[in-house]
Amino acid sequence: MFLTTAPIYTLLNSIDRLYALKGEKRRMSLDLERKGLDEAIKAGASYADIRIGEILDEHLTVKNGVPEEVNLLQTKGFGIRVMAKGAWGFAASIDLTNKEVMEIARKAVAIAKASAKTKKKAATLKKASAKKAKYSTPMKKDPFKIPLEEKMRALTDAERILAKQSPLIKVSYAFFRSLQEKKLFMSTEGAEIQQQINWGGGGILAVAIKNGEVQRRSYPSSFRGNFATSGYEFFESLKLAQHAKQVGKEAVQLLEAEKCPSTTTDLIITGDQLALQIHESCGHPTELDRALGMEADYAGTSFLTPDKLSKLRYGSKNVNIVADATVRGGLGTFGYDDEGTPAKKIYLVNEGMFVGYQSSRETAASLKLKESSGGMRADSPMALPLIRMTNINLLPSDWKAEEVLKDTREGILMQTNRSWSIDDRRLNFQFGTEIGWKIKNGSREKMIKNPTYTGITPEFWGSCDAVSKDDWMMWGTPNCGKGVPGQVMYVGHGCGTARFRKTKVGLIQ
Amino acid sequence: MVTKRLLEVAEKTVQLALKHKVDQVQAAVFFTDSALTRYANSQIHQNVASKKGGVLIKAVIGKKVGTLRINSLEDKQIEDATTKVVKIAKVTPPNKDFKSLPEPSKWTPIKGVFDKKTAECTPDFRAEKVKDAIDTALSKSRLVKAVAGSFSTDSFAFAVANSLGVSAWAEISATSLQTTVISQSKGSLGYGSAEQHSRRIKDIDPLKVSSEATEKSVKSLNPKKIPIGEYTVVLSPRAAATLFMFLGYIGFSATSYQDGQSFVKYNLGKKVFDEKLDLKDDPKDAKTLYSFPVDGEGVPKKKMQLIEKGKVSAKSICHDSFTAGKEKGMKSTGHALPPIFGFYGRPMPFNVLVASESSSVEEMVQETKHGIFVTRFHYTNPVEPTKAILTGLTRDGTFLIEKGEITKPVMNLRYTDSMLSALKAIPMIGKEVEIVEEIPTPAMKLEKLRFTGITQY
Repeated sequence: MFLTTAPIYTLLNSIDRLYALKGEKRRMSLDLERKGLDEAIKAGASYADIRIGEILDEHLTVKNGVPEEVNLLQTKGFGIRVMAKGAWGFAASIDLTNKEVMEIARKAVAIAKASAKTKKKAATLKKASAKKAKYSTPMKKDPFKIPLEEKMRALTDAERILAKQSPLIKVSYAFFRSLQEKKLFMSTEGAEIQQQINWGGGGILAVAIKNGEVQRRSYPSSFRGNFATSGYEFFESLKLAQHAKQVGKEAVQLLEAEKCPSTTTDLIITGDQLALQIHESCGHPTELDRALGMEADYAGTSFLTPDKLSKLRYGSKNVNIVADATVRGGLGTFGYDDEGTPAKKIYLVNEGMFVGYQSSRETAASLKLKESSGGMRADSPMALPLIRMTNINLLPSDWKAEEVLKDTREGILMQTNRSWSIDDRRLNFQFGTEIGWKIKNGSREKMIKNPTYTGITPEFWGSCDAVSKDDWMMWGTPNCGKGVPGQVMYVGHGCGTARFRKTKVGLIQ
Repeated sequence: MVTKRLLEVAEKTVQLALKHKVDQVQAAVFFTDSALTRYANSQIHQNVASKKGGVLIKAVIGKKVGTLRINSLEDKQIEDATTKVVKIAKVTPPNKDFKSLPEPSKWTPIKGVFDKKTAECTPDFRAEKVKDAIDTALSKSRLVKAVAGSFSTDSFAFAVANSLGVSAWAEISATSLQTTVISQSKGSLGYGSAEQHSRRIKDIDPLKVSSEATEKSVKSLNPKKIPIGEYTVVLSPRAAATLFMFLGYIGFSATSYQDGQSFVKYNLGKKVFDEKLDLKDDPKDAKTLYSFPVDGEGVPKKKMQLIEKGKVSAKSICHDSFTAGKEKGMKSTGHALPPIFGFYGRPMPFNVLVASESSSVEEMVQETKHGIFVTRFHYTNPVEPTKAILTGLTRDGTFLIEKGEITKPVMNLRYTDSMLSALKAIPMIGKEVEIVEEIPTPAMKLEKLRFTGITQY
């Protein structure tokens, strides 16, 4: 059945074509989704929503002068989420036919009824006004209309500069990625939301090796670069080739650099590393599903339990952190989340106090919050939406990055993530960066290699006494894993440079 | 039979692509049917099922290689995809390292790795088993506050065909039950977890899994803070599996090896680990779950000796056709990832097994004067691949061993250590191999593991 072709329904229900269709045909197309919802209600659902989507995902990599990866991924499918007997069910398929939509709707209800066998408390949803809306990522140049040759040339040019900096550079990479997701959300409450999200970006990486020692430098960040909701213009703005010389040279210089000392000192973290620090130690623990124990079996829970809301000092007064799905260019920016809640900005930490959670309609109702924070997202139409970060941003204060450096008598500056780990309640973390510098009397004294630092989340953020403004920007993290079955989500983090007093550094010697 | 139909699609895709005058073409077609019932706070909160499938097409023109993956099995979509992948190949710069897609080789299916009952498991059956798991935990102790976990049933199938005559397929079933129990007493929370994996649903025993998790959870209440430093450790199979999974990931892929980023490259022929350590990669071993006879390129999977009596060698390295083509005289060992895992990435061992010895966990504890028992590691990540330095934390049951007995729970600890050091002295290896998802492993005792930090719980 899944292998057969049903051209009429395929034509009617391709989300791609939905955008192009007008009048009668479009109404017919929407009809099928409604039929799916009606079928779910008929089978016993008290609530149902359906998401149909199509994703184009292009990966290009040039490695050591050759195209290692020229890949295009096309995904199309749908998922139906239902509530029946106060419990949840979800079923999905790639087969966009009338018969399959009806079957999947009935299957979702059957699953929900099975879920009800262990029900202790019925699931409820925070009330929300059903929207009929459209949203598209603002962009100037459609990356999928840029010739492949042009994209490959940009990568090859940058990679070639990296490689020629030294024979010690044994591996050199240039990366490009572009993703386009078109999706339609409809619910039995009357929501009908069409969205087109575009994001992309890229980066370069040089790996220098000498006598079995490996050092690496990336630009603009590790994990294949930096990414934003945007068109091709964002990739162009990265100007990879212009930065390749410096990146290559630093990778080689690191081989001869001093090791990071093992000590407790003042630590300055630049935005590309601070983004991941925010992600792991504030983003994940403020997800309300974690705090309510819903991720206890896998990623873990959170030290930010509901009894601590508005009572716990998370950090110093310099620490203001928001979840903001509206910021232009953020990798977690959209119009509506995957249960139809409009994008919004909420405070998670205000002047150091823990004041808010990222939530869904169900978890918001559970904690009697005013509304969902709009954080329900799925990585494909065939996956169940979970509470995911949008853009978790550390708001700037009045410092300039250079002033933070000049104001530091003795310390270490760390840049660009290399390794990461944090415990299952998000308290004890340890990060390594690609490069560091010893700071003495307000200036960079010397480069150091293998820098690492560790801490306990509220103590660490409590020691934050400077946050810069002038280098504040959005960093995109396209590889945030969560959930069982696992999903990979794209999220953003806005930040500049920050200083943390008396931090333990140098964990590997 | 799903695989027969998948092979038809693969062969048809190859023929469609050849019409575009490409030199070589490969199609890997896959279908997965997965269901997972997840529970938390002692009730099911997520319950999902999905059918996914698609085609991964590789088109070759000279040394130009283009790849396209569509998550669809519709004829029209596949036909469009063959046109598109050829366009991609035409405008892709040549890859001088590319030699050829693999030639066909003789292979034989592995019997008994697909269980129809597992593949066709119903949501009601999973819900009943989950209810058993929850009820068992709650009935074991009044201190149990919440039960969480997941119960999955899956079937995975793929077929590969290429224009040189490769024609291969594989189909397996898999199921797993994982349970985490949270207990509470006077403001302290205790955590315990256990899991079971099999390819047959009849093997899953929620009572056993839940009982073990509950016992660990209750015993974990009121953990004590201990000084960080080096400790002798007794690792459960689950904890040991994490270390070997990462070792396999960072060490034995030809990509890492050829790039100079694998510890194996700098330790060829050296006894870098304890001589009792024996690690192999073998899809035909009954304990490995992903028992595919062929890889994602349709090449028969070769049994690999990754670590032999503590030594690594160039023979330990896992290749696909691309990495093999970069070395004179080398042939693919059949380690291209199957299409169910996504795009072809680097070749990897994914049927890693650790050989057992003769000890029991009780004996390991009895012969430890001062040490730590680890149930599970959390969020392990490589810090430095050529030195095999890993960091991560303990979780769900960490206990102090004093004078041959487990005496008290301890707060979770962070380890940061080179596996070249930690696995150098392994005084005891368990006699029972436990299937822990990717890595069937026995328990083992390490002479020392370096702990660099401690949590607050």
